[in-house]
Amino acid sequence: MKERMISTYSMWNLFRNCRKAFAWRYLNQLVPLEHDRNLTLGSLIHKGLEHWHRTRELGATLELLDRALIHRTHDPDQHRDWQLARAMLQGYAARYPQEDFTILALEKTFQGKIINPSTGAASRSFTLAGKVDGLVRLGGEFFLLEHKTASVIDSSYLEKLWTDFQIILYSYYLEQSLDLPIAGVIYNILVKARLQQGPGETEAEFEARRVELLAKSKTGITTAKRKVAETNEAFQERLAAKYADPSMFHRETIYLSRDQFTTLRTELWELTQAYLDARRRGVWYQNTSYCFHYGRPCPYFAICRSGGSSNVIENLYERRAPHEELQDGLATENVPIF
Amino acid sequence: MLPIKKTPPKTNLSDLTVLIYGQSKFGKSTWCAQAENALFLATEAGLNNLEVFQIPITNWEEMLVACKEIAEGNHSFKTIVIDTIDNAFRMCAEHLCQKFKIEHESDLGYGKGYALINNEFQRVLNKLTLLPYGLFLVSHSQEREIETRTGKLTRIVPTLPDKARKTVLGMVDMILFCDLEVKVGNDGKSTTRRVIRTKPNPHYEAGDRTGRLPETIELHYQSFLKAWNTPGKPSNTAPAASITNL
Repeated sequence: MKERMISTYSMWNLFRNCRKAFAWRYLNQLVPLEHDRNLTLGSLIHKGLEHWHRTRELGATLELLDRALIHRTHDPDQHRDWQLARAMLQGYAARYPQEDFTILALEKTFQGKIINPSTGAASRSFTLAGKVDGLVRLGGEFFLLEHKTASVIDSSYLEKLWTDFQIILYSYYLEQSLDLPIAGVIYNILVKARLQQGPGETEAEFEARRVELLAKSKTGITTAKRKVAETNEAFQERLAAKYADPSMFHRETIYLSRDQFTTLRTELWELTQAYLDARRRGVWYQNTSYCFHYGRPCPYFAICRSGGSSNVIENLYERRAPHEELQDGLATENVPIF
Repeated sequence: MLPIKKTPPKTNLSDLTVLIYGQSKFGKSTWCAQAENALFLATEAGLNNLEVFQIPITNWEEMLVACKEIAEGNHSFKTIVIDTIDNAFRMCAEHLCQKFKIEHESDLGYGKGYALINNEFQRVLNKLTLLPYGLFLVSHSQEREIETRTGKLTRIVPTLPDKARKTVLGMVDMILFCDLEVKVGNDGKSTTRRVIRTKPNPHYEAGDRTGRLPETIELHYQSFLKAWNTPGKPSNTAPAASITNL
């Protein structure tokens, strides 16, 4: 019997948004050669939070960051991420010294059947797999714990959480695979501070500024001094003060209804059928409304615009097996390392 | 209206769009000058020692006028060389800034300035590629540090701004990287030669959609022609992994 294809939320979400982009990623297994730095910080914070919740040892958690960013002394990007991640996790530990929930599992992977809601039969083509940040118990109920980093938490951000297809999907599958009733989701949101370390000014920049100030000065003199670069310690202090503000952390609890699960099952099944139909006909059309989703180009925009030029594919993309988000999970979770 | 036969692959150099890039004074213009009936749209000085047909271009309007005359077809040129495409892009940016009375493309806000420049640049290049002439685009090279999933990597890329570079890479049939090849002989002495690299590599950008060229060719137009005119010759590298036809 043919093995079922593993599918994930990311896969179905991309298929739903743009079939062309889906085909580049999941059929041709292409990813952009250049990695998005925002994703680096996000995954670093996820790792840090997992460690913190597992051990409750801040020193060890910060050491984890040190080990993850070993080139920080000579790599400005790593240095910036290191400073921010460190301040975020220190602030987080201070903000939540005790938790009112009990952690049951962290980075929990799951895999389940995709069911036809009309017949109750399982799909012969696909299974669905995923990984949740955490499973917790709060007041006798079970919740998913979902970590998020955000630039800003506003009303639209919070309202959007109600429509989070991923979380409804994960809740449903975790409920099925663990046989636990999932009441809802606790969104654990950390805000990314926009503070930047003061770079200081060069002698030439200072001179230009001084000349400008002198020109404006009525007395013909100025007390301006050359700005020196902000020290690491001073910047860390500024970041710490920022993260002492409770509004830099937010927890939002959302209860899920059984109706949402029913809708989800139907939608997921429809997606599988649409995929099989597209595969049979070999048609993966482009959703041009998605090309600039979130105000920036889709990772596959360069290929689509070039009409699939091999020059673009071979120079700007690399091949990576799909479902990277499941790595460190499914394959090794229950396997002894020796 | 519907086609009755498939279009054959391009075998005529005059149908091709080529990006050639490398260090300054490496011989890129000299190489292009040997192309069949070449006309240079010279956007930078540097052709002084070459006997070529050239139109000095100092701004985008002059570029458009030259392109219009080329498109009219009352000439015997078969290859158009934009030397350099970097300067052409800069002129395009300046033109748009003047048109919108701004100092810098970022002044328009929300990335509108950048988008207008890229659209104008792409529009003109697209029209040029559709003309029945070969189009050679010359660019300089620069080292760029890129962050991959497995770490940082230093890569040699054309000096065009990022978006323009991606546009050009997607438009051309060949990306030719001019490089020095060092070989150590049996006597232990190393010799260098100037070469063109035609296949992609983690450390530089290159490519050949036609699949006709070997991985490395001497930086000499006759060597290039010889390689081009030897179809079916096996490439020095494995062919790119198959891409699902979308």
